[in-house]
Amino acid sequence: MARETTRNLRVGIIVILSTLLLITALYLIGDKQNLFGSTFRISAKFYNVNGLMQGNNVRLSGINVGTVENVEIVADSSVNVVMLIEKRVQPFIKKNAIASVGTDGLMGNKLVEINSVKEDATGVEEGDELETMRPVEVDDMVRTLKLTNDNIQIITSNLRLITDKINSKNSLWSLLMDTGVAENVKSAVVNIKLMTNQSVEVTGNLKEISSGLKNGKGTLGALITDTLFSSHIRQTIVKIEKFSDSAATITGDLSKIVNKIKNGQGSIGVLLNDTMLIYNLNKGISSIDSGALNFNQNMKALKTIWPLKKYFNKTDK
Amino acid sequence: MASEKFQNFIDETGDIARFTGRFFKELFKPRFEFNEFFRQCFFIGYKSFPLVAITAFIMGLVITIQSRPTLVEFGAESWLPRMVSVSLIREIAPVITALICAGKIGSGIGAELGSMKVTEQIDAMEVSGTNPFKFLVVTRVITTTLMIPILAVLADAISLYGGFLGANIHGVVSWDLFWNQVFDTLAFGDVVPSIIKTYFFGFAIGIIGCYKGFNTNKGTEGVGIAANSAVVISSLLVFILDLLAVQITDILGLN
Repeated sequence: MARETTRNLRVGIIVILSTLLLITALYLIGDKQNLFGSTFRISAKFYNVNGLMQGNNVRLSGINVGTVENVEIVADSSVNVVMLIEKRVQPFIKKNAIASVGTDGLMGNKLVEINSVKEDATGVEEGDELETMRPVEVDDMVRTLKLTNDNIQIITSNLRLITDKINSKNSLWSLLMDTGVAENVKSAVVNIKLMTNQSVEVTGNLKEISSGLKNGKGTLGALITDTLFSSHIRQTIVKIEKFSDSAATITGDLSKIVNKIKNGQGSIGVLLNDTMLIYNLNKGISSIDSGALNFNQNMKALKTIWPLKKYFNKTDK
Repeated sequence: MASEKFQNFIDETGDIARFTGRFFKELFKPRFEFNEFFRQCFFIGYKSFPLVAITAFIMGLVITIQSRPTLVEFGAESWLPRMVSVSLIREIAPVITALICAGKIGSGIGAELGSMKVTEQIDAMEVSGTNPFKFLVVTRVITTTLMIPILAVLADAISLYGGFLGANIHGVVSWDLFWNQVFDTLAFGDVVPSIIKTYFFGFAIGIIGCYKGFNTNKGTEGVGIAANSAVVISSLLVFILDLLAVQITDILGLN
């Protein structure tokens, strides 16, 4: 009988264990689906629910706070979604909160997201209806994305052309990469600075000069301000005129002389135009040349003669 | 020849149905054999537990390891606990438990009752005033019907633990996250039908084992045949019942 009891005990243990496991599992599953605990209902009317189903999660600021209890169509452009929300978050959902249908990740389950807005409002009550936002439709998104992609394609091909051009030799790139240019630009800037400094000085001087001129100081000032001086100048100009006239006659005489020279008249003319003279001169020079050569040879011969040889050897050392 | 076989098959199906009918008739007749029932619970339930536990643990581990590469290919490695838990709870743990029990318990009952039959112990029992059907068949069938679901729930838990270890071989899934994900995924539609169908598995294993053993003839040779065919038929029935169960849950919209 004792053996029977231990056997029954063992069986009892696994039965109880199994039952507890099952109850725990069912409770946990039910807990996730808000079947236990106190809840309240709110609803929202959507234009499009994108496949939202009974049992999908409801999130408040990203936290799971309830489930979708019912989805039913009430008009051709209105779907009523009843949500079962945990009582504990009731104070946090305001009457002006906005419900929207979203997706858990890119491919995940659909869910209702409740987001609060900035304006102040009182908390929701049982049976309230929330404002909704039209859900983002993937088709729409893809359509826009296609347009963007096309544009990007064009832009990138243009960019490629531009970068190719920049990269090629003899272009902006070489200009950009040339360090000499930068240094030149730097020194140019320094020079410009110097120049401006100097120009400042110059303009200062100019100012002084111009003020001096105004007051009739210096020659130029006198020139500008002195009326007597101008009559002198006039006389001078008349004299210059006369001088230039005589200069013209002189140049006329000169041209005549030059013509005569050209034609070989007079001794200068003969000297310049006689080709024979040049020939004779050439001849004279060449004979001087040969004379010098002979002299050289004579000198070499002299070196070999006995008393002189001794002298030359000495000088060589 | 073929028609004879077919007729035999129909005959046997009818016999099993009548045997089942007799079981239900005897079930509600008074004088319940509680002591025998508890004794059978120990042998059928408790003694099978280690075998079921080891099998379930290995299945959970293996399924997790095997599922990983496919999920990694989709970049959905984080879905490993969810996927594994659904396949284990819905299908693998109950069916593996039922098959292991069909092998161990079905053959055991078939051989035990078969040898009692051929040694005429059953006849002796009837003579001594005990209802052999009530004492032998009803207790065993009730035991298997009640014990297989209990073993299946334990197998569920153990296989999920195996899955937890399997998920941690190549990745890191914390204990809390694993169970959170598992219970996030599981719904009543996953757990309840899979538990309900194990009652039918248990009933089928018990009924077939008892039928085969109770109708043994041809001496000691027949005992072997009874044990063998009890295993084969009950295993097959487990799969057929599984198919029916899945279709019924599908029709009811619990999937």
